Amino acid sequence: MTCEEFERVGWDAERDASLSAEERAAAFAHAADCPACAALEDSWRAAKMELRAFGAATEAAETPSRVEMRLRQEFRTRHRSLRVRRTAVMASWGLAAAAVIFGTVTWINWRNGQRDAQANVSHAGGAQAATRSDAATAAAETLVADNNGGDFTPLPGSMVFDSDDASIVRVRMQRGSLSALGFPVNEERASDWIQVDLLVTDDGLPQAVRLSR
Amino acid sequence: MTIEERVADGVLLGRAGKGDEEAFTVLYRRHQAALFRFAVRMTGSAWAAEEIVQDIFMTLVREPKKYDAGRGAVGAFLFGIARNRVMKHLERAPRDISLETDGEDTRIGATVLQDSFTPAAWTEQRERAKHVREAVLELPPEFREAVVLCELEEMSYEEAAQAIGCPIGTVRSRLHRGKALLLAKLELLREVPRRANAGR
Repeated sequence: MTCEEFERVGWDAERDASLSAEERAAAFAHAADCPACAALEDSWRAAKMELRAFGAATEAAETPSRVEMRLRQEFRTRHRSLRVRRTAVMASWGLAAAAVIFGTVTWINWRNGQRDAQANVSHAGGAQAATRSDAATAAAETLVADNNGGDFTPLPGSMVFDSDDASIVRVRMQRGSLSALGFPVNEERASDWIQVDLLVTDDGLPQAVRLSR
Repeated sequence: MTIEERVADGVLLGRAGKGDEEAFTVLYRRHQAALFRFAVRMTGSAWAAEEIVQDIFMTLVREPKKYDAGRGAVGAFLFGIARNRVMKHLERAPRDISLETDGEDTRIGATVLQDSFTPAAWTEQRERAKHVREAVLELPPEFREAVVLCELEEMSYEEAAQAIGCPIGTVRSRLHRGKALLLAKLELLREVPRRANAGR
């Protein structure tokens, strides 16, 4: 080994694990023969001892406890706000889901209602067609029957009322107008003029009808 | 602390990510000293080292998912952050290291050999430690890093190469250059004639 080689790899041969056994032996042999390189090796040994002493002095160094306190405080703050945010997100999702469910149920109910209404209309249409031939008779009978009994026939959709507070208004109208009040009318006799008594409540709305005598 | 000491770092980090403060504290206590030591030896300032360690764990608190278990151990991940922070600190304030005065307790080596037998020996050793500290801190950062890891932290070349993230050959050559420079500086400090080509 030459002095240049010794300077490059030899003066820390003891520590340098990357050196082969032959290189290490050559370094030791060179240091034994060359006083300059031996001095370099000695210098490094001395420097290394000082380095070790310096390392030992800082060996026990630890982060001050205030750092741990600060970090734990930050950790708590961070995770508390994360928890709050997570709860808020969950709540918003819950509300959104509830709104969707409510909307869906409402829409289904509305659609079912529409379907029922259509079914009623077609059913009523069919019934009307079936009874068209004797509609006039039926209507007359109903009204006549009520009339005979002296009772008014409540109009469809009328509210429960106290007949004592209502007044009777006699009107002359075409029979066809009864259909506007929800009664079946024989179309052949729709243009006939009839006289009816309307039971009118305080709010001015007719609640019941009867054929006047 | 009720968490067992042998619980793996990765598990602790996972728990910490879910808000387990105890797991975070155990993880902190497990790694803080080594990171602080590295930072203080690299920067020469306890204040800077304190800030660096705080930064490292703040990163862990704020972005626990930054750690990828597939890329290595938690310790290596933390050391990587420490290294980056130290390098940034050295780039930002390269003169900070020389600003601390002898009287400050934050100076590394301040606790040197408190059990020395005589005031004269204590003073001499304190003076020597100061010289070594100055010599180490005057090394260029990459050489200083190799010296700190291999000579002070007593890592093997392989471990140092893994920590720095470079080939073993690079560590070896940086260490050699660092040691040569250190030797030259220490020889100079001792006012002993040095070899003409030492530290080149």
